[in-house]
Amino acid sequence: QAAPQVVLNVPETQVTCLENGLRVASENSGISTCTVGLWIDAGSRYENEKNNGTAHFLEHMAFKGTKKRSQLDLELEIENMGAHLNAYTSREQTVYYAKAFSKDLPRAVEILADIIQNSTLGEAEIERERGVILREMQEVETNLQEVVFDYLHATAYQNTALGRTILGPTENIKSISRKDLVDYITTHYKGPRIVLAAAGGVCHNELLELAKFHFGDSLCAHKGDVPALPPCKFTGSEIRVRDDKMPLAHLAVAIEAVGWTHPDTICLMVANTLIGNWDRSFGGGMNLSSKLAQLTCHGNLCHSFQSFNTSYTDTGLWGLYMVCEQATVADMLHAVQKEWMRLCTAVSESEVARAKNLLKTNMLLQLDGSTPICEDIGRQMLCYNRRIPIPELEARIDAVDAEMVREVCTKYIYGKSPAIAALGPIERLPDFNQICSNMRWTRD
Amino acid sequence: SSGATYPNIPLSSPLPGVPKPIFATVDGQEKFETKVTTLDNGLRVASQNKFGQFCTLGILINSGSRYEAKYLSGIAHFLEKLAFSSTARFDSKDEILLTLEKHGGICDCQTSRDTTMYAVSADSKGLDTVVGLLADVVLHPRLTDEEIEMTRMAVQFELEDLNMRPDPEPLLTEMIHEAAFRENTVGLHRFCPVENIGKIDREVLHSYLKNYYTPDRMVLAGVGVEHEHLVECARKYLLGVQPAWGAPGAVWMLTAQWHSTRGGSSRWRETCQMSALRPPRFQSSHIYGGARELLLLEEDFIPFAVLNMMMGGGGSFSAGGPGKGMFSRLYLNVLNRHHWMYNATSYHHSYEDTGLLCIHASADPRQVREMVEIITKEFILMGRTVDLVELERAKTQLMSMLMMNLESRPVIFEDVGRQVLATHSRKLPHELCTLIRNVKPEDIKRVASKMLRGKPAVAALGDLTDLPTYEHIQAALSSRDGRLPRTYRLFR
Repeated sequence: QAAPQVVLNVPETQVTCLENGLRVASENSGISTCTVGLWIDAGSRYENEKNNGTAHFLEHMAFKGTKKRSQLDLELEIENMGAHLNAYTSREQTVYYAKAFSKDLPRAVEILADIIQNSTLGEAEIERERGVILREMQEVETNLQEVVFDYLHATAYQNTALGRTILGPTENIKSISRKDLVDYITTHYKGPRIVLAAAGGVCHNELLELAKFHFGDSLCAHKGDVPALPPCKFTGSEIRVRDDKMPLAHLAVAIEAVGWTHPDTICLMVANTLIGNWDRSFGGGMNLSSKLAQLTCHGNLCHSFQSFNTSYTDTGLWGLYMVCEQATVADMLHAVQKEWMRLCTAVSESEVARAKNLLKTNMLLQLDGSTPICEDIGRQMLCYNRRIPIPELEARIDAVDAEMVREVCTKYIYGKSPAIAALGPIERLPDFNQICSNMRWTRD
Repeated sequence: SSGATYPNIPLSSPLPGVPKPIFATVDGQEKFETKVTTLDNGLRVASQNKFGQFCTLGILINSGSRYEAKYLSGIAHFLEKLAFSSTARFDSKDEILLTLEKHGGICDCQTSRDTTMYAVSADSKGLDTVVGLLADVVLHPRLTDEEIEMTRMAVQFELEDLNMRPDPEPLLTEMIHEAAFRENTVGLHRFCPVENIGKIDREVLHSYLKNYYTPDRMVLAGVGVEHEHLVECARKYLLGVQPAWGAPGAVWMLTAQWHSTRGGSSRWRETCQMSALRPPRFQSSHIYGGARELLLLEEDFIPFAVLNMMMGGGGSFSAGGPGKGMFSRLYLNVLNRHHWMYNATSYHHSYEDTGLLCIHASADPRQVREMVEIITKEFILMGRTVDLVELERAKTQLMSMLMMNLESRPVIFEDVGRQVLATHSRKLPHELCTLIRNVKPEDIKRVASKMLRGKPAVAALGDLTDLPTYEHIQAALSSRDGRLPRTYRLFR
């Protein structure tokens, strides 16, 4: 009997592995522009107290010149091509990517290969970049959401690598040396931990030839063992930074969830969608699929909230970020916890059905344009070592039902002690034990 | 336990029993083809095919703040917030969202100064349902008291948030339009003034809708749909339909499109200087110097867009690597030379009949005067020699920006809809690229000189104690070198 088939109006993701372990993955939509980049399984999680900030520092040095090109040459070349070169570092991944006209794909790959293999890492440039990163740190500090998430990691993963920031502390930014950078590259930038991903107008065979030419004889596998991923234990705990002069309180509350590949992750994503997002300029009618939005809107409990499910290799944070006025902090948190308890005990089939539809929609609509598609390919290749076909993703979401949401939420949320980060006028935030006791179902 | 029924298989392994996907393949380059059909009532239907199982479609209307001259200011903003509320066929916004969710759909309404867009992205299979829903949303909103009350609150909150945002850009954009076009057309406020929030009711909305929500002012646009099918749906739901506010009658005369005087009149050339003192919130002073492009003709639109790219700029501290316009004039001549400046960015606002080329700059209040002079000098230089290398770079970057933006389906939708609304046809991306490629240094000089002959508009925000007067800024912009007249003061 022939296996059932389904016809899709999207191109296939083609994947090839080179001899040195580097994976090449692409999706061709035939358009005149493309995105191509390197997704590297390395981020701040691989750092220790002394060199925390190195991965990020390295990202900054990538555009400062190579043995072949001075910084000026590189900048002029990219600008004259009408291309863009960008990079970012997260706790577990480092990404370098270029957007360009499809006809310039060969040049884009060559440039990417050059900057990650032949960066000069000149002493003068390193010195100059310290100032730039410190300035960036000031910028990050004005983004209160980022500050709260850094606090959340600091408390939830205290004394572990995930608890540290990506930028690193000021002392490190001032002291990271050329040797730290070189060591980081030689330890982590290895074929098996790198994915060359592309989307837009890209032909897989052409990309493969370019990959072989530029990466085939380098980036060979690790001589010794692959550095072990340091374990990161979750601790239910809190950080409070009270500042009554700030106009609004910013809070994040999270429980420990699961890693990227864990089967329960899909169910937690549905639960995350059930909580949803809301902003008071949406008004009351919008996003009614979220019960919490209805509650906060009618009770005027907050300015905005946003549920999140941040995954890492072997752990994750599932929770809510909210911005409230001083007077409503306690009521808001109470409403949130009550809603979480409802997920564990009484969420209905129709709500879950709706959340499943929304989750599928959000996931699929995100894949719009070569950059989001390329990011999806690169990230999935690093996390799952494959790109999950859309029908499979849909099947996995379809398999979730209300009973399962209750069961999985109970497993991860009910009675668990959360990690909390709170900033601003938070005098009225209940004490930690009180918050913990509200992680159980109580009638009121 | 249901745990047994759920696949306990990690995401890194394929789930067994899932149908095998047959993927689409590309044959050569993606082809752009926009088809347009006009229905008997004047409504235009435009479509464009595209890869993917989703489509974006919606109704675009010639409606927005610029048409509010004879109405309460803020109606269009109000309608934007009211969009997708209950209609004749749907009892609530929730019912609308539920219907869309079944087709994996989301909806959104956006109003700019001249266009209102009601858009939906959904699975292409739901086309018929979505067009029916859109028609109902646009033509048969119930506008209940409760919904209007909720909207008043949402508008109020949005205005509050706007005033709390650290980024002054939306406010400055509003101010520079007001300065450049006074109380007319695109100079009218895009955001509902606080004092009007309570005045807007069902009756006010109906009288506005009656004038502007007419078929001849609408385009139904779709991306990722079959043209014939879209036209068929349009006939079914948008032809011969009586809207909730009754048939468009004699009231039509009232439309009094002020913009039909086409910006040439001298009254419009009057410019005002706006200043608002808000020292507590902004630690820096911002100025937004703009010059109007009068009578925006097609032949000028492209050179202006290239000029804008050539000026470029951005923040003195901005993320992102090469490709952000590091060799544009505002980086090379301004930000790289004057490290005390926080920002210098060029903006190009263009409309059917007019446009604005602006430079936004910010710095510490003590250096406002110096900053203004640096910017006026840059304006003067626009009319001088254009280097061929910088021109080629700006042209390539404009083309890549255009093509990269058009990767996104909602952007294609907006491009198709707006062009067909304005001109009844669509200039395809490659045709626009040809026009860009043909821009010569003389074209830049021509449009820049023309712009500099008009009166400038200035908007400023922050501590403006040391801001030069409008007359001085104007004098600098009509001088040879862009210098401000010297002021002699005994005590400083």
